[in-house]
Amino acid sequence: MQVPILKQGGYLIASIQDALTDDDLAHLQTALVRQVRQFRSRGVIIDVTALDVMDSFASRTLRHIAYMTRLLGAQTVIVGIQPDIAFSMVQLGLTLEGIETALDLEEGLMCLARQGRYNRDR
Amino acid sequence: MASPSERFLLHPMLPEAAITDDKEIHQRKEFLEFRDEDVERLQGINELAKKYADDVIEQFYHHLLQFEETRTFFREPRVLARVKELQREYFLGLTQGNYDAQYIANRVSIGAVHERIDLPVKAYLGMYNFYLRAVASRLFEAFKEAPDRALATFFSLMKLTFLDIGLAIDTYIYSRETTIREQQEAIRELSTPVLLLREGLLLLPIIGLIDNQRARQLTEQLLHSVRTNRAKVIVIDITGVPSVDTQVANHLIQAIDAARLMGARTIVTGVSPEIAQTLVTLGIDLSRVTTVGDLQNGIEQAEQLLGLTVVRVDGAAQPPQARES
Repeated sequence: MQVPILKQGGYLIASIQDALTDDDLAHLQTALVRQVRQFRSRGVIIDVTALDVMDSFASRTLRHIAYMTRLLGAQTVIVGIQPDIAFSMVQLGLTLEGIETALDLEEGLMCLARQGRYNRDR
Repeated sequence: MASPSERFLLHPMLPEAAITDDKEIHQRKEFLEFRDEDVERLQGINELAKKYADDVIEQFYHHLLQFEETRTFFREPRVLARVKELQREYFLGLTQGNYDAQYIANRVSIGAVHERIDLPVKAYLGMYNFYLRAVASRLFEAFKEAPDRALATFFSLMKLTFLDIGLAIDTYIYSRETTIREQQEAIRELSTPVLLLREGLLLLPIIGLIDNQRARQLTEQLLHSVRTNRAKVIVIDITGVPSVDTQVANHLIQAIDAARLMGARTIVTGVSPEIAQTLVTLGIDLSRVTTVGDLQNGIEQAEQLLGLTVVRVDGAAQPPQARES
């Protein structure tokens, strides 16, 4: 399943709707990195609300996406991790170290807006 | 109005069907080698039992009333009379030859009654001891010419009483376990409140020891509260936690990490000097955890993170110390 990527102003929003294969994740990574460059995006939001499993590969890919987009000047926020997923993730040691997380899409957008203000002020 | 003990006698509570299930009964009987010939032998002394029942019961209660511990259960004459009557029924029931599911269920309920009125197990066992001895002496007396039969019958009786004892003890254990389970449940529910202090700010005061199960439940409750309250900051206060070990610390870190995955930041407050020493000595990495001395500072910092400030309104009541100074 291809993950739709929506462009919303300076942000890209990828909403994962279903369980993803490793290939799907790889596609998502390539597509996001390309589009960040193409649209000169300042922020990326990956919404995982619909995911009911988060394995080490998925978690690593998300981390990689965050690092890659940062190199391209865009901040990535992972949003919508459900309580049960969060719990099983930490038990597996998948803590998405150093990556922004937010409760849902709305909070994610606010988080990016805040970061943007901060960067501008600097 | 029936007295408590009497009320329970009238409305015995059956424990889980597990004990009274047919297969289970069969197994219990088989284990004691309680078979048809035993039933026949017991039936054979039914007439005899009727003859000396009253005598044995009287002796038995005379014995019971000699001890303060057991006497307290029979203060009321009405209760004593009723219990004697039930005891007589039971005594005759032993030789009636009918040991079906009904009989078992009855035994189980009697066990439950004894547990509920807090009759000590030793008194219960003592009763059987007394019965066996009382019956044995009369049995050998009656079958003077056939000691073999007396012995065989006595063994049959012993098997049956052990069956009954087993049922009663299991009922005791079952009742106690139920109580313990219920209490644990209650303690668990009481022990992990997650409080919404301000919009987006959760307070989680932890009191008492944290074990694996509690830590798990605490984390679950915290995470769900984060979602339902859309919390952005959590203050975990561990002032009431007496000690921390590696496991507990890891549980806390897990909870904090999981909350962060949901976009909530956590501040830990109330770390005592002892706990601070333990944590450092154990080499637990708390670099990812924000800690603040006490709850007040923790809340203040949380408010800061949320962009809130608390302002005293002019003319509002001042705290006492402020007025005096």
